[in-house]
Amino acid sequence: MNTKYLIATVVVIVLIASAAFIYIYYQGQAPDEGLEALQSLVDDHGYTTSLTAYPEKIISVAPSCTEILFAIGAGDKVVAVTNYCNYPYDFVAWIAEGNMTSVGDFTAPNLEVITALDPDLILASGGVQTDSVDNLRERGYKVLVLDPTSVDGILKNIELVGNATGNRDEATALVNDLTSRINAVGETVANATKPEVYYEVYYEITSSWTIGALAWQTELIEKAGGTNVFGDQQMDYYQYQTEALIVRNPDVIVLPAEGMGTGTQAGTDAVKARPGWDTTNAVQNDRIYQIDSDIIERAGPRVVDAIEQLAEFFHPELF
Amino acid sequence: MSTDEVESTFFQRTSKWKLIILLLILALIITVVVSLNVGNAPIPFPDILGILGKQIPFLDRIIDFSSILPANEAIILEVRLPRIIAGILIGAALAAAGVLYQGIFKNPMADSYVLGVSAGAAVGASAAILAGAGFVFFELRLIQVAAFVGALSAMFLVYNLARVGSRVPVTTLLLCGIAVNFFFFAVVGVLQIIAGDQLPDIVFWLMGGYSNVLWRDIWAILPFIVIGIVIAFFYVRDLNLLAMGEETAHHLGLNVERSKQILLVVASLLTAAAVSVCGLIGFVGLMIPHLTRLVIGPDHRILLPTSAVIGAIFLVLCDDLTRVLFAPFATMSTRELPVGLITMLFGAPFFIFLLKKKKQGYSA
Repeated sequence: MNTKYLIATVVVIVLIASAAFIYIYYQGQAPDEGLEALQSLVDDHGYTTSLTAYPEKIISVAPSCTEILFAIGAGDKVVAVTNYCNYPYDFVAWIAEGNMTSVGDFTAPNLEVITALDPDLILASGGVQTDSVDNLRERGYKVLVLDPTSVDGILKNIELVGNATGNRDEATALVNDLTSRINAVGETVANATKPEVYYEVYYEITSSWTIGALAWQTELIEKAGGTNVFGDQQMDYYQYQTEALIVRNPDVIVLPAEGMGTGTQAGTDAVKARPGWDTTNAVQNDRIYQIDSDIIERAGPRVVDAIEQLAEFFHPELF
Repeated sequence: MSTDEVESTFFQRTSKWKLIILLLILALIITVVVSLNVGNAPIPFPDILGILGKQIPFLDRIIDFSSILPANEAIILEVRLPRIIAGILIGAALAAAGVLYQGIFKNPMADSYVLGVSAGAAVGASAAILAGAGFVFFELRLIQVAAFVGALSAMFLVYNLARVGSRVPVTTLLLCGIAVNFFFFAVVGVLQIIAGDQLPDIVFWLMGGYSNVLWRDIWAILPFIVIGIVIAFFYVRDLNLLAMGEETAHHLGLNVERSKQILLVVASLLTAAAVSVCGLIGFVGLMIPHLTRLVIGPDHRILLPTSAVIGAIFLVLCDDLTRVLFAPFATMSTRELPVGLITMLFGAPFFIFLLKKKKQGYSA
């Protein structure tokens, strides 16, 4: 009898132990899928970063990166941002109050700050930051470069950051939400006449700058039911001839509210007063609109706000 | 040589000079006509003539101009013509200032940079941009006034720093100018670092350009440039004397210090007026006087006017190039390059070509 009880007890213990083992095993296994994704994080410049664990300390050296991190709920891991980061929170005030560390200006992240914080992951954008990124990688830091060339690229980046931080579900939910909002705009403007749109980057006495086909803002204009008046030009940001604008005669002019620089030439009234611009449809029909530069220039989740806003500019009768 | 012979060679020379000036003015007119046709907008030549003709009072009662598109009229009168006129004024001013600087310093490297004049303008402009370039001062933008004031202040600063007693030795002036130039550009560097959102404004200003120049900008600089060149023309003989050395010039009866002072002020005034509109455009002030000297010779009486006209033609042609370079490529046809890049990109090889061709070597 005793033996029977003993065997029964041992069997029960073994069963419980195996159940516990299996439970614990699968508990550990579940995040392993995510950890596998951590092994090969491929960024927009084709660079593969491998992490062994989810980062606990993240530095963002670009406003667009900061916006993505906070939008997917990874904001609590962010230990430093740039002086230009102003969304979703007033980080300049946070920095002043000592609740956030400044990594310095956008163009030149402060290496001493980064070294002192010893981050597990740094998020950067392309362009002027490329040199800094190379330098940081040579120093052994893990850096993801978010430098998308399309709206899809922005959505992929949100998922990439989700994979890197372990906030995959939030990232997927955000991407689904953004996609459905883009589609909703698309359906609304589907059958409307597309206005020709001039998007201003910079205008001063020295030069005028706009966007061609390769800038992703052109895609925002198209998704909002418009056509970039310089959309046939295979360039991204470029210096154009002012007379070409007068010839092309845009129906709508979009000005970033805080564009590059702050000359006398910005602003609706100044645009109307520019030589020759009074002959364009946009000026004659008073269709000059200002848009928050942050939502249309940052490759973050708020580009969908920009699409919705542009659609209202282009098709006021539909909204 | 008898008096008659001297007189006859003098008249031969002056009539040759008159011919040269006449030909250059003709070339300038041709340049203007050609330039009116250059640009992204395809405007037929008869329409251009029509647009210009329409501006003549009462002519519209005889000829029917109604077929002219308002957009084309705006392009010719408000975009292309101001660019051409600005190019003429700025090119002439920079080249004339270059002749004066090189003559005063007897140094082939002398231009508006050596006196710190360009750097002074850059500090003024950058500071104005940071302070808010939106401020308008008697129809002029603060940045233009500040660049103008900056250029002239730099010149006065350098001149007074370099003064030893009542004299201003050229070497001291050069060295002070170069030191101030570096110092001011360092200040511009600091201003760029703290500029933030206004950084592009400073960068584009330093790169130079006048694509979107307004008529009112032209009226603002016109008197300075015309008066400057006219005053300079009264002092060309002094430059010829200075070319023989200050000592010799002094013994030939020239008030060396006074002449230098006046010429420096005039040169800086010309530079200040030009850069206040177009920012820093390199090469023209340095190279056009040399180029002219290679072709025409070193006599300042002819060098100054010819340099001014050649500078005007050169800058207008460079500005045309910025508009046509990308025209053959349909997918980039609206692109334009900064004119300051073109002046160097095409001017430098052309200058080297001339220098090599003139085998006997170069003498200032």
